[in-house]
Amino acid sequence: MTLRLSIPWRDARAPVLQRKHGSAGSKAVPAAAAGSARASGRAARRDQEAGLKRANFGEGPGLPTLLLLPQLLILLFFFFIPSLRALMQSVLLSDPFGNNVQFVWFDNFKSLLASSDYRQSIAVTFWFTVMQNVLTLGSALVLAFATDRIVRGRSAYRTIILLPYAIAPAIAGILWAFLFNPAVGPLAQVLHGFGISWDPNLNPNDALILVTLAASWKHICYDYIFLVVGLLAVPVSLMEAAAVDGAGPIRRFVSIALPMLGPTIFFLTVMNFIYGFFETFAIIDAVTKGGPAGATNILVYKVFVDGFVNLDLGSSAAQSVLLMSFALICTLLQFRYFDRKVNYGV
Amino acid sequence: MGRKVAFIAALFGALAMIGPAQARVEVQWWHAMSGVLGDRLNELVEKFNASQDKYTVIAVAKGNYDEVTNGVIAAYRAKRPPEMVQIAERGYMTMLLSGAVVPVQDLVEQKGYKIDFSDFIKPVASFWSYKGRMSAMPFNSSTPIFWYNKDHFQKAGFDKPADTWQELEKQLYAIKSKGVSECGTVLPGDFYWSLLENYSAINNQPYGTLANGFDGLGTEFVYNKTKVVSQVARLKKWLDDGVMQIAGQGFSPEQLFTSGRCSTFVNSTASHGNIERNATINWSATFLPHESDINPPLNSTIGGGAIWVMKGHTPERYEAVAAFLDFVAQPETQVWWHGATGYVPATNRAYALARERGYYKDHPTREIAVLQLSRGTPNENSRGFRFGNFVQTMLAQRQEVEAVFAGQKQPQQAMDDAVKRGNEILRQFEKLNAGKTPETERP
Repeated sequence: MTLRLSIPWRDARAPVLQRKHGSAGSKAVPAAAAGSARASGRAARRDQEAGLKRANFGEGPGLPTLLLLPQLLILLFFFFIPSLRALMQSVLLSDPFGNNVQFVWFDNFKSLLASSDYRQSIAVTFWFTVMQNVLTLGSALVLAFATDRIVRGRSAYRTIILLPYAIAPAIAGILWAFLFNPAVGPLAQVLHGFGISWDPNLNPNDALILVTLAASWKHICYDYIFLVVGLLAVPVSLMEAAAVDGAGPIRRFVSIALPMLGPTIFFLTVMNFIYGFFETFAIIDAVTKGGPAGATNILVYKVFVDGFVNLDLGSSAAQSVLLMSFALICTLLQFRYFDRKVNYGV
Repeated sequence: MGRKVAFIAALFGALAMIGPAQARVEVQWWHAMSGVLGDRLNELVEKFNASQDKYTVIAVAKGNYDEVTNGVIAAYRAKRPPEMVQIAERGYMTMLLSGAVVPVQDLVEQKGYKIDFSDFIKPVASFWSYKGRMSAMPFNSSTPIFWYNKDHFQKAGFDKPADTWQELEKQLYAIKSKGVSECGTVLPGDFYWSLLENYSAINNQPYGTLANGFDGLGTEFVYNKTKVVSQVARLKKWLDDGVMQIAGQGFSPEQLFTSGRCSTFVNSTASHGNIERNATINWSATFLPHESDINPPLNSTIGGGAIWVMKGHTPERYEAVAAFLDFVAQPETQVWWHGATGYVPATNRAYALARERGYYKDHPTREIAVLQLSRGTPNENSRGFRFGNFVQTMLAQRQEVEAVFAGQKQPQQAMDDAVKRGNEILRQFEKLNAGKTPETERP
């Protein structure tokens, strides 16, 4: 029941869910039979729904439209219109004041794809989001699992873990930049003490590691909340049964809790990618400004610099169109390949 | 914030005293000065407002230069631009060819003010004028100078920093090896401005073709074939040997100097205010070094900002703008601003006035920038820079220099790449502005 937190997710994907149920039970059945299994799945779903109370909105589309309107307007003004403008701007060459505009077809895209700078930015974004994802999810899992086992001071523990979420990204970035500043940062001194030549101002890898750490640290709490709730949904009886059978805490976590967390982890992976793609801008700006030598110049930061510092509006728009497509493709691929392995039938 | 509120309150107080009978014409001036400089700017505006009863200038801090630029672009596109805006030197070509500005000299003359534009210090005048006519009013003009820690030099057995890079290098290495300080110098945040662009001007190296862009939009960068390459190699060597440090994000290079950690620092003369306030060391300043085979060195070039006048306002408001610009150009205002901030006086008359009053006896380091800017006669290499999209080409160049610092590229390779990238950006600007001439029509 506690899985309710991810219920909107499940509802949106209900048809797929049903298909899974259907095909799960008919793995060995020939293809022809699979169709009927699917059909019976749908029938089963209807039966389920029949048991639910139906909401009645009366006749006609009036009320539903009215209820949808606020959301639609928000989408219109903050998504569709800006997206359309970005699409238009991406095929234009224009001065920032808009007094001189030339239509250049796909020149902006062509020169982007031809520039080593942009390709570097794609590579950096890839490594940054993947590393950030693994680190965030991994740490959040460990912390969430530990929460289950802490008896005293559990709420204090949880509060402390949630704190970073309340800190503005720019402030968090400055903190990290300062702590790891090779000249004055205390943590950098510790690293130097271990003989590690740490210098994110000079060394591209150090810089990438630093922004990845900062971005993950900021986002662990988000993943943590979902995972704690997800863990609560794991039936205690199952865990106890496993314990009685002699499974240790790690075994119980890996073999029982983790598979049951599947949908949550999948959802968080998608969210982490979106976070890495779009919301890490402030951290990059505060920690490295995309440097050194473009080592942390992730796509969204490059969109900002080219648009608002360099005033190259056409290229910036083309980049944001490409970035949006990358994010879309990435999300779709995740659904296509990982969603199948997720067990929703908890 | 408190000061801002106090200022606004004072403004309203002043307005209330004047009473409703006097309808003052209000004009806005968006600027990028913060901290001490912002306070000084507000004082300047108050002085103007108090000096007459027809016009009120309202100074609005809009963030840093980038934010001001973006703000004015957005406002212009929404057809509500401010009357005046302060734009940094790198934005000159963008503003000049924007079709959104009124040339300052035309406006001022049309409104009947007699500003002697020929009296402006040469590198200042040449930077902000197009075909001999001033496009924007020089406001905060600076140039990089060489700051040093007197005690460190004395301890290492030197009177003062050497004039040439070659000798200076020996001094910095000696300071380091004698253990006087941890680092000889610190990399300035705007090293591309002081250590590459001004370096080229002072050492008579061309930065781009067509007289650094003054003769046309077809200009191309050439600094990969000049002493800039060996300059980058020198910086890399200093960095590797620990003679130079990078402050990096989360920390300002200036602090490494004012705290006594690094012995020298190349930075704008405009940091006088900050250094006077923050330094715990016995500091002084001198001219930027030059190459030993370049003698005499040429003038340095300016940085900073100028006041641009935006199109699309009523004649009454332009009256107010012209009156304010005339006030800014007055020697008295210039001398006051020079003293209050460390920016250079923009006119020869103002400089003479400051000298006459013995200002430089008490503040010798404040004269360095003026002397350095006005030494000799500026030539094609030292007049300044006229490159379109100059911010963008600079960022590409900075990235390439960082690649040298990180050991990813050799200096020659990096400068070749920077020039190649820069030229592509210049071609884009040329394509966009082909055949365009700056606004010369009268308001």
